[in-house]
Amino acid sequence: MKQLPPFSAVAWTIAAFVISALPHLAAMPPWLAAGILGACAWRLAAARYRWGPPPRLLRIVLTGVALVFVLVAFGGLWGRRTATVLLCVMLGAKMMEMFAVRDLRLVASVSFFLIATQFLFSERLIYLVYLVSGSLVATIALTRIQTVHGGQWTARGGSELPAIRQAAVLLMLAAPVALTLFVLFPRLAQPLWGLPDQVMDGRTGLSEDMSPGSISNLFLDDSPAFRVEFDGPPPPPGERYWRGPVLWNFDGTTWTRPFFGDAPSRQFVAEGPRSLSYQVQLEPHERRWLFVLDYPVRGPDQALITVDHQMLNRHPVTTLTRYDVVSNPDFTDMPELSSGAQAVALRLPEDRNPRTRALAQELRERHPDDRALINAVLGWFREEAFYYTLSAAPLGRHGADEFLFDLRSGYCEYYASAFAILMRAAGIPTRIVTGYQGGFWQAASEYLLVRQSDAHAWTEVWLEGDGWTRVDPTAAVSPARIEQGSRSVIDGPRHLFDLNWVENLRNQYDRIQHLWNRWVLGFDHDRQRSFLRGLGLPDLTTDRIALLMLLVLGLVMAPLSYALLRQPRGRAASEVERAWQLMLRRLKRRGLTRQASETPLEFARRVRNARPQEGERIVELALMYCRIHYGEVQDDARPFIEQARAFRPARA
Amino acid sequence: MQADLDRALAAVNRVIVDKSEVVELAFSALLAGGHLLIEDLPGVGKTTLAQALSLILGGSWQRVQFTNDMLPADILGVSVFRRDDEQFEFRPGPVFANVVLADEINRATPRTQSALLEAMAEGQVTVDGQTHRLPQPFFVIATQNPLDMAGTYPLPDSQLDRFLLRTAIGYPAPAEERRLLIEPDRRQLLTELNAELDGARVMELIQRAASLHVAEPVIDYIQALIQATRAHAGLRAGLSPRAALALIRTARANALVRGQTFCLPENVKLIFPALAGHRLQPLPESGLSSTDVVEEIIDVTPVP
Repeated sequence: MKQLPPFSAVAWTIAAFVISALPHLAAMPPWLAAGILGACAWRLAAARYRWGPPPRLLRIVLTGVALVFVLVAFGGLWGRRTATVLLCVMLGAKMMEMFAVRDLRLVASVSFFLIATQFLFSERLIYLVYLVSGSLVATIALTRIQTVHGGQWTARGGSELPAIRQAAVLLMLAAPVALTLFVLFPRLAQPLWGLPDQVMDGRTGLSEDMSPGSISNLFLDDSPAFRVEFDGPPPPPGERYWRGPVLWNFDGTTWTRPFFGDAPSRQFVAEGPRSLSYQVQLEPHERRWLFVLDYPVRGPDQALITVDHQMLNRHPVTTLTRYDVVSNPDFTDMPELSSGAQAVALRLPEDRNPRTRALAQELRERHPDDRALINAVLGWFREEAFYYTLSAAPLGRHGADEFLFDLRSGYCEYYASAFAILMRAAGIPTRIVTGYQGGFWQAASEYLLVRQSDAHAWTEVWLEGDGWTRVDPTAAVSPARIEQGSRSVIDGPRHLFDLNWVENLRNQYDRIQHLWNRWVLGFDHDRQRSFLRGLGLPDLTTDRIALLMLLVLGLVMAPLSYALLRQPRGRAASEVERAWQLMLRRLKRRGLTRQASETPLEFARRVRNARPQEGERIVELALMYCRIHYGEVQDDARPFIEQARAFRPARA
Repeated sequence: MQADLDRALAAVNRVIVDKSEVVELAFSALLAGGHLLIEDLPGVGKTTLAQALSLILGGSWQRVQFTNDMLPADILGVSVFRRDDEQFEFRPGPVFANVVLADEINRATPRTQSALLEAMAEGQVTVDGQTHRLPQPFFVIATQNPLDMAGTYPLPDSQLDRFLLRTAIGYPAPAEERRLLIEPDRRQLLTELNAELDGARVMELIQRAASLHVAEPVIDYIQALIQATRAHAGLRAGLSPRAALALIRTARANALVRGQTFCLPENVKLIFPALAGHRLQPLPESGLSSTDVVEEIIDVTPVP
């Protein structure tokens, strides 16, 4: 019967797995997490009471059931979350057959990987603690497993301290290497995963102004515009209006930003009960807008909130940019409209769209109240044969006239533009807002993916008492446009550490957090270059940086390697021993067993007498082995190791 | 140097038929700086071996036939008073030679035996308060008849320890014995031997043997063997640390004799019976001979 691994090695390995799986366990359905923890508990009890592995059939069935559970829980939705949960579940199933050195080592090693996967979901500071403690425990486990010698578990009982100390020393020895890799590993301008086609390469994002077709051009572009993680449940799809350029000026064809577009807001937006806090990871779009939900309370330090509640970055966004925003949807924008703003919001080219203007006059006479008028127009859109389509014909000089009375089909900018013209002609101050609407809720990974194809245009009208009020004519024509991509929202905290006390802790360590963000998360391509410049190095190309990294790594590892190499031929000798034992095992399978009291040469000569055809070869190998094993001058062991491994005794 | 040794070995083997193992042991004992006890019947070639060795070594050689009326002075030498200059003069005995063949040592009284054995141990002789150094190298080959023969005084345990190795010669194989009968007389062959070595070269070989490499696994093996004698239930006592030292020294010498540059477990295995056999006393109730016990220990001790 094979010897069972000692309790200590099993316990440490399970601890390593559980710690590294903690955030993943919290993110999966509780009954699935309970199953995994149950498997761990069973394995621990098995180690304590010296039970063997369960029957093979049972293991297969349980693993299959666990797989089905994962499929059911995630509905076949394949994402980062599903993949990591699957990994956790498989490791949980591995508990049932974790009875050999190999299996223990596998679980402990994969624990490191499991820790790394958590950084696909969050890079917050708290996970540094998780990273360090998880790595330490996994290293202790590996150290404990390593006390196995020659296939036999050595009876090393007693204190756990030596293993803990050894693991800590190992991690500390690895720290300079990790630091070197972190600082000098060539940073790409963009992260490698998840975000292909980082450069704009000829594509255009949302443009600064709007003319018919400028937004529908983006419809086929499925590349991500930005991703959003909410500190809480995401808003319903109907409220996901991501505000971009606000357009006031209309020249008859194109809507543009006004001269005061960059002026900072003088209105204070307070947080309200429905305030939303969220982080946006914005893909580079080479313009300054940081897309936000209505109405931004505060954004990142370097950002400016304009008078019409756009958020502008100081510089064009050319790298993946993260920013935190708090928005309050209940804010009343400009309860009083200045006469200057009103004039801009009502201006229309005189010589355009006569039919639309006539319709506006007619409506105005019928509906003296602004709200009633708006509802009438929206109702008209809804009831008449207006279509929401991409293949809209180009519009001529009287674009709104053509659209409203002849074509009656188009994309959102057609509706927004025609609606705005109609409103202004009716004397209601109106402006156009462009940006993105909706987004795809990645339920498995809990973030909102907004694509370029989600680009949208809507209008805001100024109403007495309500200020600027969003009116989306597209919603009247095609409610599905607004609702599309919506998914059911997962309730509850996002992950295990989404707790109050952690939040407090996070505030307390805000300074560290700041450094972490600045030097770890934010240590990107540019910062690496400026860091190297700070060291007095000239601008280096990526391959030069890679060379520098190898050089520094060599310097860092030289003392370590020297210390390790100075240790007497421990590894080489054991490799020789293994090769020799392998050769003996192969001979044994042919019925040639070396007696314990036989010297290698005695055995080889006996074999030579029994099987002259290959005996010479065996004597030769035995001589090589003796020279290494008993000799003084250490010959190069390589030839022996290779030849002994390659040796295959013929069948008798 | 190694070539001289090989030639010497070959020459002795030419004279002593079919006994290369005994010859090897004899050379091993010589190069380990110890002495050899041959225990066998008369007429199997003990004397011839001793003579061949002494001729090969090129030094002086003496033969002492032990009898029961022999006195220590007959071996060590005497001081005689010279009338001419009224001085005592020391007349060295037969022990003053490079190779001494002590024939049938167990025929002498214990007193005489111990005189020789003390000389062997000390490398010097003290007569009438004067100390005389024995020549270097100094190698004693003693022969002993099997103990059940009449008129013998068995060597006491403490004296047996003075011999590094004990071995038997035994009868030659029939084919080899035939050669013995056909070929010219051994004594004539002996006269044809050349001195392949001399005292200085033997001393150098002894030093070289002492510095031969012994790897950790071989030392492990030696320790395991020694330990096995101490743990064996059928023995009165196990081997002493001195015996362990002697084992490693002789294994080295054997490795040199075989032309190796490092010690192998084979050397230990070859030496161990000759080294342990006369140092171990089986308990009478076990019914085993010391040879049985030694063989058993070798058979069960794993070679690392």
